[in-house]
Amino acid sequence: MSEELRKEIANLKQKKTGQMYLTWLRFKRNRLSVIGLSFVVVVIFIAIFAPFLTPYEPFDTNPFRRLEGPSREHLLGTDELGRDLLTRLLYGSRIALQVGILIVLFEGFIGISFGLLAGYFGGWVDEIIMRLVDILRSFPVIILAMAIAGIMGQGLFNVVLAIGLVGWTTYARMVRGKILSIKESDYVEAAFATGESTVSVILRYILPNVLPTAIIMVCIMMPTALIASATLSFLGVGVQPPLPCWGSIAAAGRDYITRAPWISTTAGIFIMFTVLGFNFIGDGLRDAFDPTSKRN
Amino acid sequence: MKKWRYVIKRLIRTIPIVIGVTLVTFLILHLTPGDPVRIMLGPYATAENMAALRAQYGLDQPLPMQYMTWIANITRGDLGTSIRYNRPVTELVKDRIGITLTLTLSGLFISVTLGSLLGILAALKQNSWVDYLCTFQAMFWISIPGFWLAIIFLYIFGLQLRWVPIAGLTGFVSIILPALTIGLQEEAWFARPMRAEMLGVLNEGYIKAARAKGVRYYKVVGKHALRNVMVPMITMLALRLPWVIAGSVVVEVVFAWGGMGSLLVNSVLARDYPVVQGALLIIALSVVAANLLADLVYSLIDPRIRVEGGKK
Amino acid sequence: MEELLKIENLQVSFSTEEGPVEALDGVELTIRQGTFHGLIGETGCGKSVTGQAILGLLDNNARIRGGRILYREKDLLKLSSRQMGRTIRGKEIAMIFQDPGSSLNPLFTIKNQIEEAICMFRKVPREKREGLILEALKQVKLPDAENLMYRYPHQLSGGMKQRVMIAMMLACRPQLLIADEPTTALDVSIQAQFIKVLKELKDNLNLTILYITHDLAVISELCDYVSVMYAGRIVEDLSMRDLFKNPRHPYTTKLVNSVLGANTTLDQLEEIPGSVPRLINPPKGCRFHPRCEEAIAVCNREVPLLKEVKADHSVACHRR
Repeated sequence: MSEELRKEIANLKQKKTGQMYLTWLRFKRNRLSVIGLSFVVVVIFIAIFAPFLTPYEPFDTNPFRRLEGPSREHLLGTDELGRDLLTRLLYGSRIALQVGILIVLFEGFIGISFGLLAGYFGGWVDEIIMRLVDILRSFPVIILAMAIAGIMGQGLFNVVLAIGLVGWTTYARMVRGKILSIKESDYVEAAFATGESTVSVILRYILPNVLPTAIIMVCIMMPTALIASATLSFLGVGVQPPLPCWGSIAAAGRDYITRAPWISTTAGIFIMFTVLGFNFIGDGLRDAFDPTSKRN
Repeated sequence: MKKWRYVIKRLIRTIPIVIGVTLVTFLILHLTPGDPVRIMLGPYATAENMAALRAQYGLDQPLPMQYMTWIANITRGDLGTSIRYNRPVTELVKDRIGITLTLTLSGLFISVTLGSLLGILAALKQNSWVDYLCTFQAMFWISIPGFWLAIIFLYIFGLQLRWVPIAGLTGFVSIILPALTIGLQEEAWFARPMRAEMLGVLNEGYIKAARAKGVRYYKVVGKHALRNVMVPMITMLALRLPWVIAGSVVVEVVFAWGGMGSLLVNSVLARDYPVVQGALLIIALSVVAANLLADLVYSLIDPRIRVEGGKK
Repeated sequence: MEELLKIENLQVSFSTEEGPVEALDGVELTIRQGTFHGLIGETGCGKSVTGQAILGLLDNNARIRGGRILYREKDLLKLSSRQMGRTIRGKEIAMIFQDPGSSLNPLFTIKNQIEEAICMFRKVPREKREGLILEALKQVKLPDAENLMYRYPHQLSGGMKQRVMIAMMLACRPQLLIADEPTTALDVSIQAQFIKVLKELKDNLNLTILYITHDLAVISELCDYVSVMYAGRIVEDLSMRDLFKNPRHPYTTKLVNSVLGANTTLDQLEEIPGSVPRLINPPKGCRFHPRCEEAIAVCNREVPLLKEVKADHSVACHRR
């Protein structure tokens, strides 16, 4: 290789790391994504520091102060068992985030693995996996997950399992698609033509290109995971009371909707806040990694 | 001639999916950590009851046999008997499917029309206030949990303002609120993709060529652009259908309507597994049928698909 | 000969992420009625932009900074898009584009799309339509026109599609047809067929064409007059004969000499050193001067204007 060529390659390699920085800059420029990031940071903060943010305990019932409206003592009022609502909602962020992350990781693991296999090997491996995807997607995710969680029994872990087992299809398709497009791109063909080994091609070309997609997907799947787990809790499946899950708080609140509408309302607001945050981030990430796609 | 080849190919592709769906529905039941019979009957079951139930449901047979029996029953229209109501599942479903169907279809209608309208308008007036509104409201609605929206709507419009009746499917007006709940949420999932698709179509060569021919702008959009945007619209529709169904289930629960959705939820909570299986199966098969229908409609609109006979 | 279209001092810029790009900087062009006028230049010199500007089909980020486009004494730039669509596009001036594959809507039949063109400006009763469509298709020598009508674009080859495009545009009976690199995407043999069709149309219909291309060979077959474009400006405007016998602008000369003829040997082939300038930051003065062997001091300062050196021959160069 000539000296010139060597220099060019070194230059390109430098550009690759510069790319990440550029992406971060683009992300920062987008006001909405920064707002989203701050939302999520707030939620994480609440989750970590919940005990310090409230004098109450989430499980402390108080039968004499049930269904009170917002007051100086109880900023958001109390629920049907006399527990301080704000406290429960604050602690609820822990459950929401834990469940959300677990679901996304679980789904992601299954989905990315399947996507990789299908995309890379093609042929009948691809066919089988895609049929599996088709079959699973014939069921509404929440409904199938509800059935599974209901049958498996109560427990947060079962919720994660149920949603994860059903919801990985989106991941798989995205990853498969990305790999297919990379596989057929010119630079990969060129790499093979110059005699690069399969492993090297995977490590140097395929993985770095799939990585941004994977990262974005985590942020994009988080909202769905959050809403799905909340919905499942709302429907009565999975979360055992008295755990303060936002969905089940909203469910309990529904029975008292006329007397104490603030219960369900605030629970939903918390969910929405978190989900909105992740949605903004996801959108911003998508634009930052690939500014040519959506606008203009 | 060629059209039929595509149809048949498509039908054949559906078969493994249908089989897979039945398998999944069947196998779910056996995910229980414990003995399904004991769970179904509860803690006070006697040995005789359990044996009887086992025999009745053929649960003493090996798994593949059970599956075969179940399939055989289904083809005869027998979805089993509900443990809770002691009535055939098919009867229960038949009573309630009307409500679910109405909710799903009306929700789908609102979401498709609203979403497509917004998306297309946003594309036509790119970077205008319409465009930003479209994107923003889309992000707003997809961040709202469906059940919460339903509760809020129920509270504000049904209970407080009393604008609409909420007790059940009593007529056209009673559908508005639940349909809007489903529809507003779902349209967000249509609006942005439709916008992107429309932008893509507007950049195609045939749009410029048509204008160069002298075709008026509104006709260019109405005839050329719209037709080409219909294909992704149908794709979206088929994609979101399961979610719309899920949405209608949630709405049924919140509004306390007696449709298939609430049947399903209550049966899961009550461990009435035959009903769960039956309802799941019906829902999944409907989705498969809808997807098939969508593909067939494609072939009507897009002549390229007829020849290739395959998915894009 | 009557002047059909006259472009005067057209200036078009595009707003891009990196800043404004002066795509056209004072383009002057005159198309005479009944002639084939070639517009030749390398990729990126702005010839397509010129064509699109005439019909008002520029992209959204384009700004027309100045100049006039006179069609029969009317300034097209003063017309609104609506008026353009109603009176000019299709009716008086039509255009065919580079990639025939994407110029036809894949969801509609050929018949449907030609019908659209025919019925755009005049009322044609249903019974007569098929006949007119068949006539248009036959005019461009498309075989089996009766069945072809009912086919879809994806069932036709590239060459056939391009001929359908001509047929469609001709069905509008325009006075001027703008052809933007119509054969660039076609095989050479198909190209030959296409050119033959165009020549016949020229003889039979007294058609006026603005033929935009980078291919000198094609231009030499078809055109009566040629405008040579470089980096957003017209550098020379001359007749076909003068192009090969007596080109005067340094760029034109180099261009002509860089074409392979049947008898050219390798050392006779000239290449132009350097590369086309990026229009985000064009050279000052004459835009060709960095690559010109004859450049002098003034070339770097002043923009040379098109000056007539003899009848039907103008050059924009300080040294001529």
